[in-house]
This record gives sequence, structure tokens and C-alpha cells, in this order.
Amino acid sequence: MRFFRFRHFSSKLLLLLAGLMALVQVAVYLLISRANEAAAIDHIAQNLQTGALIFRQNLAERIAYLAGSAKVMSSDYPIRQLMMQDPLDPRTLRSALQTYSDRVRAPVITLFSLDGRVLALSDPELGEENAGPFGDLIKQATRDDMEQASGYSYLAGKLHVLVVVPLYAPAPNVAAWFGVAYPIDNKLAQAIKSTTRLEVTFTSDDPEEKTPRVLTTTLDPSMAAALALHKMAPKQGPLDSEMVTLNGEPYLTLFQEIELLGEAPVRIALQRSLNAELAPARELENKVLLISLAALAVATIAALWIARGVSQPLHQLADHTKHVAAGDYTRRINLDREDELGQLSAAFNQMTAGLAERDKVRDLLGKVVSPEIAAQLLQSDLQLGGEEREVTVLFSDLRDFTTLSEKLPPTEVLALLNRYLDRMSAVVEKHGGVVDKYIGDAIMALFGAPVAAADSAARALAAARAMGDALDDLNRELAAEGKAPLAFGIGINTARVVAGNMGSKTRLNYTVIGDGVNLAARLEALTKSPGYETAVIVSEATARAAGEVDTLRPLGGVTVKGKSERVNIYAVDIKSRPWPVRG
Amino acid sequence: MKTFRLLMLLACVGPTAARAAEFIAAVKDNKGAAVADAVVSLVPLDAATNSLLPPVGPRTEIAQENQEYSAYVTVVQAGSKIYFPNRDTVQHHVYSLSKAKKFELPLYNPGSVESIVFDVPGVVTLGCNIHDWMLAYVLVVPTPYYAKSDGAGAASVTAPAGRYRLEVWHPRLATTAVEEITLSDAAGLHRDFTLTLKPDRRIRRGPEGKNSGYR
Repeated sequence: MRFFRFRHFSSKLLLLLAGLMALVQVAVYLLISRANEAAAIDHIAQNLQTGALIFRQNLAERIAYLAGSAKVMSSDYPIRQLMMQDPLDPRTLRSALQTYSDRVRAPVITLFSLDGRVLALSDPELGEENAGPFGDLIKQATRDDMEQASGYSYLAGKLHVLVVVPLYAPAPNVAAWFGVAYPIDNKLAQAIKSTTRLEVTFTSDDPEEKTPRVLTTTLDPSMAAALALHKMAPKQGPLDSEMVTLNGEPYLTLFQEIELLGEAPVRIALQRSLNAELAPARELENKVLLISLAALAVATIAALWIARGVSQPLHQLADHTKHVAAGDYTRRINLDREDELGQLSAAFNQMTAGLAERDKVRDLLGKVVSPEIAAQLLQSDLQLGGEEREVTVLFSDLRDFTTLSEKLPPTEVLALLNRYLDRMSAVVEKHGGVVDKYIGDAIMALFGAPVAAADSAARALAAARAMGDALDDLNRELAAEGKAPLAFGIGINTARVVAGNMGSKTRLNYTVIGDGVNLAARLEALTKSPGYETAVIVSEATARAAGEVDTLRPLGGVTVKGKSERVNIYAVDIKSRPWPVRG
Repeated sequence: MKTFRLLMLLACVGPTAARAAEFIAAVKDNKGAAVADAVVSLVPLDAATNSLLPPVGPRTEIAQENQEYSAYVTVVQAGSKIYFPNRDTVQHHVYSLSKAKKFELPLYNPGSVESIVFDVPGVVTLGCNIHDWMLAYVLVVPTPYYAKSDGAGAASVTAPAGRYRLEVWHPRLATTAVEEITLSDAAGLHRDFTLTLKPDRRIRRGPEGKNSGYR
């Protein structure tokens, strides 16, 4: 089932070329785009995993650094001097802790007694009530006899990483504890972002809180708020990431958790924008798209050009064909091309020429032979040999034409003869007869060949009578012209003869031969005999075939030359004219 | 003992008998900004420096207040005593590791006063053992003729006419500028000094509790 048919070859070619091109390019574009996206996601996922490791590493390093710094502090001479004093001087201790805070760049340094009481705190804004998490660490370190303990907790509502180390006096005797804290704040997030190129967001994950808080983020605040509310998809592996859409932008996100000291854990989201990762690839894709469009345009133009190159000559050929079909063989296609179309047009021209030739031949043939014979010749394979069939043969001959021709100049003789033959031939053809040949002033006509006809004899008789009328007409014209009248004799016989092409292989005639033909000629000769007093003599066979045996005037039997049997003959009295005056 | 005193008196009277001349210095850095705390000292070339008595005046002190030394730069003639009163709320532990004077004043409480005699000329850098940001300089000079530039970079020294070795010192100056000058009693001598100072590398005392480790 076809829904659409192309009226034009050019549109078909155009659709094919441009369509194929577009199809290939769309496929390529989609493949590239998909591959890029898959690669980007893969790349981000790897980055996220690396980022998570870097993040953990970063925190571990900070803990190690804090612990190391705290150890140096705890063995500093002045702190021992201050610790030696009794009672302790908290103000001086605090100013000393501020020095340490400056030295190690940790904002919170606290000195604890062995039982976890705050002795001094570097940050006056950070009250003793916030020292609780340090107490937990000190208990843990004391219990497990550790050289340091670390953990994460909120201090004054802000997330910190906490480390406690003992102040030895000397090791392994613990005299007091140092607590050092670093905020996990925007600076840390930015530091991680600058090394990993990942967005970092910390959110509280407290199930008691209705809306999780954004603790710190490198994202836009509204996006971070949306991220805080995002419910994590179940993960198969700890480093599996998921796609989170924030403000309409897809972010591949890796969620991690940090356990807090005695509190709900904190959720960390490491993210990278898919669009940002894809940006260079998108640029490439856009270039590919541009090139594709350009190629498509070129392909379209090329297709149009090619299609025009094919369809225009085809149009010409079609046009030409119409003319040829209408019988105009004079036109020629002129395509200046070497290709198949050029060959086709050349062949077409040859064909036209051939057709013109054939037509000419046919025309000429019609003139040389009768149209029926011409048709028979053109239809058949022009083979020598013939077939036996019943025909009626009519012979006519002008009386005294030799004498006449001697009196007149030859051109006039020919003109007169042609005039006579033309009239007679017309009458013969009108009655379905075929002029087989002219023999000088004689006419040999066939009825029932080449086209078989049952009433050939009747037709021949009718023709003979009409010929008489025609001769009368001609004689009247001649009389008017002051010329002598013409007279003829006609012999008609109906017999089985052989009809067909006779002659050599290169030149042949359609004719009939046989005794019957000779008889017709003999009968015509008999009309010269004054005794018969008739211009038309037919054989009994013809009279019978025409159904006129009883109406025609019987002339008795004759034995003609070359024939052993007697033949009954009849006279057809044509009204035309008296029977010949001259012999 | 009597003879020594007499000699000292003579030495003292000798130069002062001559008419005093004023040396005025204007100190700038190479950007044209006035330089404060630059010390200009004139060491007499025609008299033995050890014969010069310290000028009689108010006692010199470097106080500790609000966890800072009260004067960043202090100039004294060699042999002078400097008092270190603790007017703070916390204890301090003053120390010096300088060649000209190595000493420490171990942790002492607010309200106490300690003192140290500086008898060797040179630069003495003072620190505090528990407060890294506390820093002060004592320039000990072998002459009573010295001055410290003020906020406008001006320093003026009055000294008897004569030949002097002029020295200009500043904590951030790589090498002390030295030249010879002659003061006549007619008019004061004005000199402009342009010093190329090293960048200020003092430890800034962080705002309390606002430190964060992430640089």
C-alpha cells in the first residue's frame, strides 16, 4: 500500500538524498549526544567518588594537623608554667590559648581539667555550655587510654570537627586536656570545591527536625534549601550517586554522611552540574549540528541539481514522445550529454528517424501497391510463398490503345492513361477490390485477396458495371475536351488460385497465380470478338458465385487457349456504351 | 671616688659649655610617607662617649597594657634602666634573646613592676613568652643626643656644636644609616632622610575567637 506517489522524479531524488543525509546526521548527532552525556555522567560519578575520598582525606588531614598542633601546644613551656600556678589564672590562660589559636589557626582551643571541666576557652563567645562534645571525647579518650580522640559536633549551632589531646606532665601522665575545634564552614566547602570542582552542601539530617537545615553550601541558597529537602534514593553501594534536579538543572549527586557525637548525622552532598560538565561537549555538538545543517543544505542543492539534470531531459523526451505519437517525426531532441540520457536521446532520435522512414515507406507502399496489399505486406513477415484461396480476378484492357498512343505525344498518352487508370482503380477499390497490377493499359484486379471475401464475385460484377459508368463519365469529359473516347473490355473469373508473395528474396510482389487468372485474361480477350457483343465476359464460376447465372446473357461454351475444358461464359451488359465499334 | 666624680662633672660641663645647636630630621619612606619610630642619634666624634652622663629626666618604662607593649620603640642611652610595669589583666613573661641584652622577666602578675638596666649599645627586641603578637624594641645608644620621629616623621636633637656620627635606625630598616655631620652653633641643621623599609611582618593579634584555619 502506498500512501504517496511522487509526481516528480526530482522530489523523489531530493527526498531520498536529503532525507538519507538528514537521517544519517540526526543519527550521528543523537549518538554523539548520548555518548557525550553518558561519558559526562560517568566522569562526574568518578569525580564524585574521588571528591568523597578527597573530602574524607581532607578532614582526616585536618584532624591529624589539629592533633599534632595540640601535641606541640601541650608540651609548650609557658603552658606548663601557667599550669604550675595555684590557683590557675584563667585570664592569662585564655590569652595564652589565643596565642595558640593564632599559631595553629584553629578558632577554638579549650583547656579542660582531667574531669572535663573547662579551665580556659580561647573563644569568649563560645560558652562553656558548648564544651559538652569535648567532654564526650575526653571521656572516650580517658576510657580507652588514647593519645587523641576526634569527632564531629555542633558548637554554638555550627558544625565543627573536634580533637582532644592530653597535656602530659610528663607522658604518660595526663595533667589536662586540650580541645581543638575547626569549623566545617563555607571556607572548607569552598576549599573542597576548589580542589574537586564539586558543589558541597552540608545539611542537618535530624529526623526530629521538620525541615533539614542547610549548614553550609557552595550552592545558591534556594538550591541548597531544595537539596536539603531531597529524599535520598536507596543506594546499593556507598559511593553510588543519583541525579538531583535543582532549579531545573540536573546535578549528579553523591550523598555521604558524617556521624556526630551523640546527635543525628549530618548529610553531605557532593555535586556536579551535568550541564557544566557537558558544556564543552555541547559546544562540539553545536558545531556538529552546524556542519550537519550545512551539509544538508549542500546535499539538497546537489539533489535538486542532479534531479533537474535528469528530469529536464526526461520532460523533453516525454514531450518529444507525444509529438512522435501524434505523428510528428520532424522534431529532434538535442541533449548535449555523454551519459545514458544522452545515449537515450540519440536512440530516440534514431527511433524517430526510423519511424519517419517507415511511415514514408508505408505511404509509398500504399501508392505502389493497393492499401490492402500494403497492409498485408506490413503485417506479415514478408515471406515468399502463398496460400490457396478462392478469388475473383478481373482483367480490363483498353481497346485500340496502341493505335491511340501512336497518334498522341507520349506525355499526353501517359496523362490520359493515368487519368483512366485512376478512375478505374478508384472504382475497383470502392467495391472492395484490389488492383494487383497495371500491365500497360490493362488492369488486373483481385476480389477476395488478400482479404478474403465471400461475395467477391458479386463485388467484381458490381465493379465491372461501375467501371462502365466511370468510363462513360470519362468519355463525356474527353468529348468535352475534344478528345476521342475510350473503350475497354473486361474479363472476370472466379477460381481457386495461389495468393502470396512472389519474386526474389529482395524484391517481391503480392499477386495470385493459377489457371483461373489466365482464364480471366482470356475472357477479356474474348470481348474483342464482335460475335459476343459485350464488353464484359464472365465465367460460369463467377456468374454462379455472384448468383447471376440466370440473369446474365449466356454466350455458350468456349475452349480457351491453353485450356482443355470448355468453359461456359456469360456477357454482362453494361449500360455504358455499345459494344466496340473498332476491333 | 671624689676624683672620679669631679672628672665626671668636668666631662659633663665641658661640652655643655659650648653653645647648643639643633639638628632636625624629617624621615620618610621611599613612597614619601612619614616614618614614625625612626631613631636619630648623634654620637660625638670629639669626645669619649663613655664620659657622657645620661640626661636627667622622667624614668623610662615599657608598660604591658591590653596585651601589648606600650611603646613600640624606646631609645635609651647606654646604662639606663627601664621599668616594665604590668598594667594588664593577665600575666606576662617578658624576654629578650638579643645580643645587646639577654634577659627574661618570668610570668609576673598585673600590678607588679620589674626593671632592667641596658648597658650595651645595640638593638634589644622584646617579646612575651605567652603572647606571640607582643613586640617592642629598645635601641640602646652610646650618646645622650637622640630623638625618635613622631607621627609626622619629625625628630629633633639638640646637641653642642661639633662633629658627630649620625645614625638613623628603624625596626624595618635593613642596615643603620650612618654618616658624619658637623653641627655649628649658628643655625640648626635640617636633613631629610628617605628610608627603604622592609615590609611590616609583625604578628597581627587575631580578633578573639574569629580565627579559622582555612586559608
